[in-house]
Amino acid sequence: MRTWVSRYGVGIALVALVLLAAIGVPGFFSRDNLTTVLLHVSINAILALGMTFVIVTAGIDLSVGSVLALAGVLTAATLTNGSLLGAIGVAGTVVVAMAIGLGTGVAAGMVNGAVIARFGVAPFMVTLAAMTIARGAARLFTGGVPIGFPGTGDPAFDAKVAALDALNVLGGGRIPVPGLPRGFPVPAVIMLLLAVAAVFVLTRTRFGRYVYAVGGNEEAARLAGVPVGAVKLGVYAIAGGCAGLAGVLLVGQLRSGGPDAGALYELNAIAAAVIGGASLFGGVGTAAGALIGALIIGVLNNALDLLGVQSFWQEIVKGTIILLAVLFDVWTKRGSVRTP
Amino acid sequence: MAGLVPLLSLQDITKRYPGVVALDRVGLEVEAGSVHALVGENGAGKSTLLRILAGAESPDAGRLMWDGVASMPASPRVALEMGITVIYQELALVPQLSAAANVFLGMERGRGWRLDDRAMADEAGAAMRTLGLDVDPATPVFRLSIAQRQLVELARALTRNARLIALDEPTATLTSTEVDHLFAQVRAMTTAGAGIVFVSHRLDEVRAVADRITVLRDGQAVWTGAAGEVDHDRLIELMVGRRVEYVRLPGTRQPDAAAVLEVRGLSRPPRFRDVSFSVRRGEIVALAGLVGAGRSEVARCLAGADRWDAGEARLGGEPYRPRNPREAVASRIVYLPEDRKRDGLIMGFPVRANITLPVLKRFARWGRVDGRAERTAAQASADAVHLRPPDTARTTGTLSGGNQQKVVLAKWLLADADVLIFDEPTRGVDVGAKVELHQQIRALADAGKAVLMISSELPEVLALADRIIVMREGRVTGELPGEGVAAEAVMALAVGP
Repeated sequence: MRTWVSRYGVGIALVALVLLAAIGVPGFFSRDNLTTVLLHVSINAILALGMTFVIVTAGIDLSVGSVLALAGVLTAATLTNGSLLGAIGVAGTVVVAMAIGLGTGVAAGMVNGAVIARFGVAPFMVTLAAMTIARGAARLFTGGVPIGFPGTGDPAFDAKVAALDALNVLGGGRIPVPGLPRGFPVPAVIMLLLAVAAVFVLTRTRFGRYVYAVGGNEEAARLAGVPVGAVKLGVYAIAGGCAGLAGVLLVGQLRSGGPDAGALYELNAIAAAVIGGASLFGGVGTAAGALIGALIIGVLNNALDLLGVQSFWQEIVKGTIILLAVLFDVWTKRGSVRTP
Repeated sequence: MAGLVPLLSLQDITKRYPGVVALDRVGLEVEAGSVHALVGENGAGKSTLLRILAGAESPDAGRLMWDGVASMPASPRVALEMGITVIYQELALVPQLSAAANVFLGMERGRGWRLDDRAMADEAGAAMRTLGLDVDPATPVFRLSIAQRQLVELARALTRNARLIALDEPTATLTSTEVDHLFAQVRAMTTAGAGIVFVSHRLDEVRAVADRITVLRDGQAVWTGAAGEVDHDRLIELMVGRRVEYVRLPGTRQPDAAAVLEVRGLSRPPRFRDVSFSVRRGEIVALAGLVGAGRSEVARCLAGADRWDAGEARLGGEPYRPRNPREAVASRIVYLPEDRKRDGLIMGFPVRANITLPVLKRFARWGRVDGRAERTAAQASADAVHLRPPDTARTTGTLSGGNQQKVVLAKWLLADADVLIFDEPTRGVDVGAKVELHQQIRALADAGKAVLMISSELPEVLALADRIIVMREGRVTGELPGEGVAAEAVMALAVGP
């Protein structure tokens, strides 16, 4: 009974929540609103998917929100770089800007992972430092103001706007779907593809197996010949890469990159992963759970918005849900995973 | 005897840790198709030797010849690839993963990036069935019993085609049917040509299953020979040997006639069963035995840290059954745990704060601590145990191990306990500090305290104990007087037939 509940409990909770909102919240269960929920959830879900890899190894990554901002401002700066636009054109610049955003995230994650794996420093401290450094770097680079829409009279005005518009297809575009008047949001498609990829990597690949092994019993993994350091490097690179991708999407969505973007996003991502069943003690957690956890938070926010509930109340509700998820986790584990 | 060169030959293996030589020029040879047993007391160096074999530690000196070729494994991965599998006592499995995933951990079967879970389940299942383990390979390991987990580790060795398998006390937690089954599997593996290194405390098993035996004592290989060449008593003699002896410290105070703490039929299966003994004021009673005999578990129950299932205890004639350590301390029974860093002292505290922690109430008025009274009391207590330097403002973590243990003593001296339970009181302190701690413990008994001491170090038991209770596998196997008893007699009761 407990195994069954712990495996499908979060999914059931999401379905119940959606049904409840469909009945009790006017305007919730429309195609338009549901796709809006998916769009709003996508950034947090992408971060939560990356975070799940880290949490399953019994680690934590506090830097993803700041890395998102740093990746975003670098992406926006590249996108609106007049000489680059002149040299390689709009399409080339968009590709380079995306690569820079993603690369920034992966690089930041690899630095985190390298310090954690090589020196055995607590992930909490390493990523707390990275969080502060990345935020400072983003502010330093931009002088504290967002980079984005060019001023009138900018000699490369048209090219910059074209580049921003091109990335906006990724961050804010909609794919026309019959029956959906406004189409299906592109970030939600990316989120779903990423979730499928994460499920595949965690459940079907050697690397995924090692992620669970390192989190479940690091010493046993080491003695079995698992390259523990490389696995840790990998999971932080993935979390950083997800942060970079989220930064790129956010720039596309807003047509600008701000140094203060993504503040506290790391905590929302951790919350989603934990609501989805990941254990901060490691060894336990799924990509599907992280997606569902992000959706639960998104549906709750949306439903409470539609009901006109103050945002302060929404925070209290979200906190309570996190607490319930953790208590639920303790309940399902009682008597089973205790060490002999 | 198989070929001309043995499968494995360890030569002059030396390993030093800060303050100790764990292995001192140890040699060991294992032939293919034979079982070589490694015996010795706790701390003799058996586990360190296995960790070197597994590539988990590297020795400071020495050679490992594998098929006659020098090749010291640099990491667990290299050792596994050479064909060496070590099965540790605290099994190295990932509890959340399935049996099949654990069998193949570190050498997964797959096509490119993808894992081939079906092939691994089939192959792991086949290996497990060969070993007589008939469970679904998809079962997560945390659902398996200890014996089943051990067979999963053996299945891992089988699927890796291991040529040398080392088992660290594999039978310590098994029932006798499970032991028989395990030995049948071990014999089958040697018939198939594997070499086995077998570490055990159970000498009857060792002589039954091993072809050759090596005895380790204090980091040295003191004897190697065919299993048929030694009898039980000779093995015990070799394990105990001649060693550092302490001057015996007899008490100056005649113990009370009546017991202050009396324990009758105490049980907490499977940790210990039917344990009875008594301790009087003015005497030191030692609980001797091997690690894992259930002594610490008994102590933890008396200290209120765990509950017992059956039996009774009396303190000063009254029924005594603490529900938590707080109640035990209130009844003036204190437990001084083995791991001081974890359970005994707060290392970041000044010495004074550690000493006064259990009795802070005495110095507090409306919650405010009277600093001067606290300092005076802590200082008096620290002086009584000869703390050096006698500075109670010093951070506890900066003291030597022996002085940290004195802080623990000072703490419970101030708390005015009646019964003191020491768990390995001198572990990790140097010889000089040990002698001084022995004197302090004797002084406590002479001051009218009842002392119960758990020690795995026989010379310590022989130096201090007025009476010796020996435990083995959760049961009391005998009681000996402390005066004039031979080390071999205690060891014989501790290791059994």
